[in-house]
Formats: sequence, C-alpha cells, structure tokens
Amino acid sequence: MFRLLVQELKFRRNTILGWGLGLCFFPLTYIGIYPSVADEMAAFADLEIYAAMGMSLGTFADWVGSIMIVLLPLIAAIYSISNGTGTLAGEEEDGRLEMLVTLPLPRWQIVTAKALALAISSAIIYLIVSAVSWIVFLVIESQIETVMVGKDIFTAVMAGWPFVFAMGMIAMFLAAFCSSRRFASMISTAILVVGYFGSNLAASTKVLEPFEPFFLNTYLDGTGKAILEGQSTEDTLVLLGVGLVFFILALIFFQIRKLTVGVWPWQRGKVEA
Amino acid sequence: MSENVIETQDLTVYYGKHRGILDVNLTIEKGEVFGFLGPNGAGKTTTQRVLLDVFPPTTGKATVFGLDCQKDGVEIRQHIGYLPGELALYSNMKASDFFKMYEYLRKDIRSNGYWKELSGRLDLDTSRKISQFSRGNKQKVGVVAAFMNRAELLILDEPTGGLDPLVQNTVLEMVRETKADGRTVFFSSHNLPEVQAVCDRVGIIRDGQLIATQRVEDLFAQRMNRMTMIFEGPPPAGVFKYDGVTETELSEQSITLEVRDNLPAVLKTAAEHNVRDIETHNVSLEEIFLAYYSKDEGGNNV
Repeated sequence: MFRLLVQELKFRRNTILGWGLGLCFFPLTYIGIYPSVADEMAAFADLEIYAAMGMSLGTFADWVGSIMIVLLPLIAAIYSISNGTGTLAGEEEDGRLEMLVTLPLPRWQIVTAKALALAISSAIIYLIVSAVSWIVFLVIESQIETVMVGKDIFTAVMAGWPFVFAMGMIAMFLAAFCSSRRFASMISTAILVVGYFGSNLAASTKVLEPFEPFFLNTYLDGTGKAILEGQSTEDTLVLLGVGLVFFILALIFFQIRKLTVGVWPWQRGKVEA
Repeated sequence: MSENVIETQDLTVYYGKHRGILDVNLTIEKGEVFGFLGPNGAGKTTTQRVLLDVFPPTTGKATVFGLDCQKDGVEIRQHIGYLPGELALYSNMKASDFFKMYEYLRKDIRSNGYWKELSGRLDLDTSRKISQFSRGNKQKVGVVAAFMNRAELLILDEPTGGLDPLVQNTVLEMVRETKADGRTVFFSSHNLPEVQAVCDRVGIIRDGQLIATQRVEDLFAQRMNRMTMIFEGPPPAGVFKYDGVTETELSEQSITLEVRDNLPAVLKTAAEHNVRDIETHNVSLEEIFLAYYSKDEGGNNV
C-alpha cells in the first residue's frame, strides 16, 4: 500500500503546487490589504447580512476568521471534492482503474492509499497557505492593532483542514458508491453549498435551529474568538469523525463494487428470470 | 497448482437487466494458447474481467490456478499479465516511468527491467510521454505491461488491435515464446488468421454463451469444401442427398455444394450426370467462424 500511496502522491505533485500557490491568493490579498481597510471594516462589524454569511469583519481576528476559516475551506473543499470523486469514479470512467484493480493489490489498499493521498495532499496545500498567512501577518503586524501573534494565524488557518478532509471523504464515498463522477461531484457540491448556507441561516433563524448539527460548516467556527482561542476540540473531532466514517463507508462500498460495469448500486447483481 | 489453469462452472454475469455471459463452462490447460472468439458484446471481456475479479459473477464459479477468483484474487493476479481491450493509461507519464511504476506497484522482481527488452522489440520509444503516442504506440505500452512480469498466465484482450502488421507479428511471436516457456495465454480476438497462427484451441462465444470449444486442428479437419459443378444442361437438383453435403446454390448450368463428407459419392454422382467442370475451394476458418455466428443459417452444426 505504501508504494501505491507514494505513486498517488507523485500524481498529485503539480496539483498540490497549483492549488497551494493559488490559494495563497487569500492571505496575500485579504490579509495583506487589511491595514488599508481596517477602519472601514470596523464600520461593518454588526451588519446582519455578513452574519447571515457567517462573517464578522469588525476586528482583525474577525476578518481572518471570515476569510481564512469561512471562505478558504469552501474553496479548498472544491479540491477535495474534485480529487475524491476523480480518484475512484473518475478513474473508472476513463478506464485507468481497471489497470489498477487488475494488479495484485487488495481493494482496501487502493481506497486507503487514495484516501491517504487526498488527506496528505490537502494537508500540504493547507500547510503552504498557513505558512504564507504567517509570513503576510509578520509583514503587516506593525500596521495593525491585534493581540494575535504569527503562530495564532498559522494554527487558525490549519484548523480548517479537518473540514476539507471530511468533504474529501464524503466525495470519495460517493465515488465508491456509484460509478458516475458527475453524480458524485454534484451531490458533494450540494452538500458543501447547502452546508454553508444552512449552518449560517440555522445560526440566525429559529426555525432552522434544530437542523444546525446536520450541517458540516456548523463545526467550523469563523469568529474572532475561535481565531484567538482555537477551534473547539469537540467540533474538530466531529469533522475528523465524519471523515473517518465516510472513509470506512468508501472502503465497504468499493469492496463490493462491480467495477467497469457502470450500473447503479441498486441494479448490481440483479438476475433476470 | 492444478493442470487446468482456468476453470469456470456455469459462470453467469448480469449487468442489471442486461446479460453479460450465461452458463459459461470453460477449461484452459497449462501451457496452451486459448483463443476466445466472438463478436462485440458476446461476453469475451466480461469473462476475462470475472477471472481478474474486476467484478464477481452473478452465479457460477471461476478458478484460476485452482484458486477462487473472488476469494484469492490478489494471489491470482500476482501470476497474471493483463492487457485490457479498452486500454487507458496515465497520459502524463513517460512510457518508461509507466513501466517503472508498474514494476514498483507489482513489487516485481521477475521483471527486472525486462520492459526495456520488450520495448526494443516493439520499437517503442519509452522516453516520450504517453499522451504523445499514436493509438498503435499506446497499444505497444499495454502489450509490454502485460508481458513484462513474465506471468504464468497472460490474459490478452485484442492484443494486436491498432498495431501495424510487422508489430502484430512480433506480438504473435511473443505469444509463441510464452507458450514455449510452458506458460498459458488466454487470447481474445476478432482476427482469425492470428488465432489460427498461435492458438492451440479456440472457444467461440455468442450472445454470452460458449457455443463451442475445439482444437484448431480439429476445426480445420472438419472444415468443408465448397464445390461448384458445371453441367452441359440444367444441373440435376436433389441428387446429392448425402450425409455432410448441402446444396447451397442452384443456377441454370451449375450447382454449388458444401461437402464435409461422402466426397467419392458426390463425385460419382456428378460423373453420372455428365459434369463438365468442377471448381473447388477450401472454406477458411473465417467462414467456419461465421457459420457459428449465423443464427439464421443454423451455423452451430459446423
């Protein structure tokens, strides 16, 4: 399995670099420009429209939380969805998976290696963005008023990774469950978008409050408080737990999957009289 | 290991409502080259994929080297080299990197760079990216990948597809060498001359059912002669009613017969009716094959 993992990571080299550098756009621009917009942002501190989007922009910590904890994971989740659906359903559709499963490798090792490669690659992307955030913070530190230190911003950004991991495993499960990458991507993206708006609306609307625990974004705190004090350990464990559960489901469904057949799960193995 | 390298019992696969294969009973012995013939959609690839545990059969059983294809898939695949019919490769890799990856993933010590020798034989430039290759060169990559681990069993799905005649001959030569090594080849193809050239036995599959398995020489031993007899006047219809003889065409002065048996009686009868000329030609393996496939003509009787 280690050999396959190494190979899977090699395949992702360019993607990791591309996404890592691309996502550095966030700290370079949004954190970099903060000194010049700090006063204006303070005026938007209590706007309800921002609250509905899970954002608060009053202080530097709020600003960092809104951009790096609320928005960045949404964008990074697109990587994990694309990667998670592409490795199983996508490779099955283009035929490469057949070459892989006909090698002497157990299927559980194939799924595990691909899941680990996804987790490691997204973690490396996050490490790159976190490191750049730290550097940008050091550059602007003298121009802003904040109690944050460089390490805080690094850990705050990294804290978004469990969300990206969980989304990646959901996508991978869907790709193991059905043979259509398009279908798996569509459902994963819907979960991402509904989770984002659902958790924000549930936080501010009593009618939706009971549904709040079902939205993944609920477990990602983008407030200034969370930036300064860190994400709740329970929430982080929930995200990692969700990721783990969907990884196990992916293992189970890939094990029983009729590859290359292209039928839906409920059609598999049905015998006509 | 069993003498039978591949054995299937009532192997049946359904894709949802669609039939893949039905009650396929097949035995392939160690050291033989088995040709699997059939039109598109007949079930050749399905059979091979079950053997490789790409998916399980709906019912029935398949064993390779005496091991169950589903329970012992990993162990079985250690001894198999496979060339899929629908070849898909990692297009951004150089061919040499692809072979190294394959070697690495298989933990293959038998290969030991054998891909270099094979690539040389097939005139494949392994320093180029696969995405830059023509269809034929991509097929060469698949052929090398299948042969490079010197597997006990080669499962080749249309191995010469897209290759030029010279390279096709080299691939067939490689198949013969595999057989000479005492290894086994399960060879699916549409190309009858190449099946004729390398296979010991052939299995013919139609609509998911294995309708015949025969040694190639037996198939030829049974092959019929087609004979056109030209007479001075109208040909004598209905006088060639012998076992193994079929009238296929009747015109003003000639009659065409397919003769599998009773040739002396046919010739004697023709002479009695003042035959002027006789043209004969052997029916090719292709025609025998087509006869199997021709539902309307009751081709199973060949």
